[in-house]
Amino acid sequence: MTKPCIEVHNLSKTYRVPVREAGLKASLRSLTHRTYQEVEAVQQISFSVEPGEIVGFIGPNGAGKTTTLKMLAGLLHPTGGEATVAGFTPWERRHAYLRRISMVMGNKSQMLWDIPPLDSFQVLGDIYAVPPAEYRQTLDELIDLLGMRELLTKPVRNFSLGERMKCELVAGLIHRPQVLFLDEPTLGLDVSMQNRLRQFIREYNRRSSATILLTSHYMADVTALCPRVILIHEGKLLYDSDLQELARKLAPFKLVHASLLVNSTPPAFPGGLQPVEVSEEGRHTFRLPRDEAAAFTAQLLGSLPVVDLTVEDPPIEAVIDQIYQEGKV
Amino acid sequence: MNHRGGWALIKRSWLSWMQYRSFFFLLAFGWMVPPLVYLFVWHSAAGEASIGGMTAPQFTGYYLTLILVNQLTYSQTNWTLGDVIRSGELNAWLLRPLSPHYNVLSAELAGKVVYLAFILPITGLLALVLRPELNAGPREILLFLPALLLAWLLRFIWGYWLALLAFWATRADALLTLQDSLVFLLAGVVAPVPLLPAAMQTVAIYLPFRYMVGFPIEILTGQLTATHVAQGFAIQAAWLAAALLLARLVWAGGIKRYSAIGG
Repeated sequence: MTKPCIEVHNLSKTYRVPVREAGLKASLRSLTHRTYQEVEAVQQISFSVEPGEIVGFIGPNGAGKTTTLKMLAGLLHPTGGEATVAGFTPWERRHAYLRRISMVMGNKSQMLWDIPPLDSFQVLGDIYAVPPAEYRQTLDELIDLLGMRELLTKPVRNFSLGERMKCELVAGLIHRPQVLFLDEPTLGLDVSMQNRLRQFIREYNRRSSATILLTSHYMADVTALCPRVILIHEGKLLYDSDLQELARKLAPFKLVHASLLVNSTPPAFPGGLQPVEVSEEGRHTFRLPRDEAAAFTAQLLGSLPVVDLTVEDPPIEAVIDQIYQEGKV
Repeated sequence: MNHRGGWALIKRSWLSWMQYRSFFFLLAFGWMVPPLVYLFVWHSAAGEASIGGMTAPQFTGYYLTLILVNQLTYSQTNWTLGDVIRSGELNAWLLRPLSPHYNVLSAELAGKVVYLAFILPITGLLALVLRPELNAGPREILLFLPALLLAWLLRFIWGYWLALLAFWATRADALLTLQDSLVFLLAGVVAPVPLLPAAMQTVAIYLPFRYMVGFPIEILTGQLTATHVAQGFAIQAAWLAAALLLARLVWAGGIKRYSAIGG
C-alpha cells in the first residue's frame, strides 16, 4: 500500500476577530476595550488523500474550504491538529516543500500585467530552478494542452478572464508540482471555457499523476473531475466519499419525465400518482422512490400515449443545496 | 539563498518598470523639485558672498549632488508594501521557494536603474548651465561611494521596517511620510546640516536621517574633517545595524501574525 500524499488529522483553525458595535461611541470605546470573538473556521477535520487522486472540496461560502487549503499550502498556521503533505509539515514552508506544491486561485493573479506571459513563466522557471530543457518541454506541453500559443507574446492586460486563467495554470504548473491546490479555478468563466479547463485538469492529472485538491462552487466542475468529494459545512467535515454515493444517499428518489400526447381530460396515472410538474408541451415530471421507478415506467408506457420518456437522478445541485440548508448528511 | 530566482525577479521587475518609464520619469521629476528650489534659494541668498563658509557655486554643487543622492537612496518600494500585505498579494510571495525580501529588493534595484536613466542626463545638463563648484578629490570620492551605499541601505531598510508595521496597523505608511519629513528637515535637504542651528545640528548628528542623504554629500563637498567622517561612518553603521535588527524582528513577528489571521 502506498503512503497517502496528504494526511490531515484533527486540523483546526480558530480566528480571533475583533468585534464592535456600530456608531461613534462604540468605535471610541473599542480603542481601549477591545472585545474579541472566536470564530472556529475549521474544526477537527481529518482526511487523507492518495497520490494521484483528484478530490473535490465542497461546501457553502464561509465553510472553511479556503482556510483549509491555505493551511495545507502553508500560508496559515493551524490552531490545532496536524497535517503532512508530501512528507512535509506545510506551515514550516520549507523551500523543498514549496517546490513540490502549487496553489492556483481563481480570484488572485500572479501574472504581471504589463509584460508578456512568456517572461513571467521564465521567471517562475528560474525561481523554481527548473532545468532549461525540462522547462521548455513542460511549457510546450502545457501550452498545447491549453491551446494558447498565440497568447504568449501579448501583454496580460489585454487578456480575457479565461485567457488569464490559462496563464495562471501554466504559471502554477511550470515546476511540475506533485500536489496541486486549485481554489475556484473556473470562477467567472463561460461554459465552454469551464469545459476546456476541466478537460485540461483531467488530462494533466492523468499525465503527471499529480495529487489535486480542488474547491469549486460549480458542481459541474466537481462532477466532471472528482470521483471523491469532501464536504465541509461550518468548519466541520460532513461527508467524505464517492460523489454518486452521496447523491444516492441523499436523494433516494428518481425523476421520471414523460411527454404525453395532450388531451383535454387529465389522464389517470398508474397507482394514482400525480406529476410534480407539467409543462405546456405536455411534459410530465414524476418524483418517486428509486426502487419503484422501473415498475412505474413500465405501467406508464403500457397505459398512456407516451411520446418520449427519460428517467434520471435529481440534479446534484439540488442534493448539495439540501445539505447546505440542513447542515447534515 | 536562491540567487538564480532572485536575479530573474530583478530582471523581470526592470522589464516591467521600463514599460512605465514615463510615469517614473514624472515621479523622479517631482522628487527633484524641492532640492532644486533650495538650490536657487541658497544660491541667491549667498549672492557674491558666502553663508556658513559656502559660496553660491558651492551651494549649486551641494544641491546637484543632493538631487542624485536623494534619488539613489529614495525607496519607493516601501510605499506599496502595505498594499501587498493588505491585499493578500503577499500569499503569492510566500508560496514560492524564494525569500520574499527578494520581491522588494528587485523592485528597489529595478527602480534605481529607471530613475537614473532620467536623473543623470538632467543633472548633467543642469551642471552645464549652473556651473557648480565641487572640489572633490580621489579621497573624497573614495569615501563618498561607501557612504552612499550605506545611506541607501539605511534609508531603504529603515523604511522597510516601518512599512512592515502594516502587518498590525492599516495605515503604517503614515510613518513613511514622517520619515520623509524628518529627512527633509534633518538630512540636509532644507539646508546643509553644517548650516543648521546648533541644537538642531546636534539632533541631526545623532538621529539616523542625516545618514540617509546628507552625510555622503558632506563628504563629497569636503565639508567634514577626518574625525567627523570617521564618527559619521560609525553612527551610520550603528543605525544600519539597528535598522536591520528591527526589520528582522518586525518581519518575524509580522509573518507570525499573518499566518495566524490570514491575508
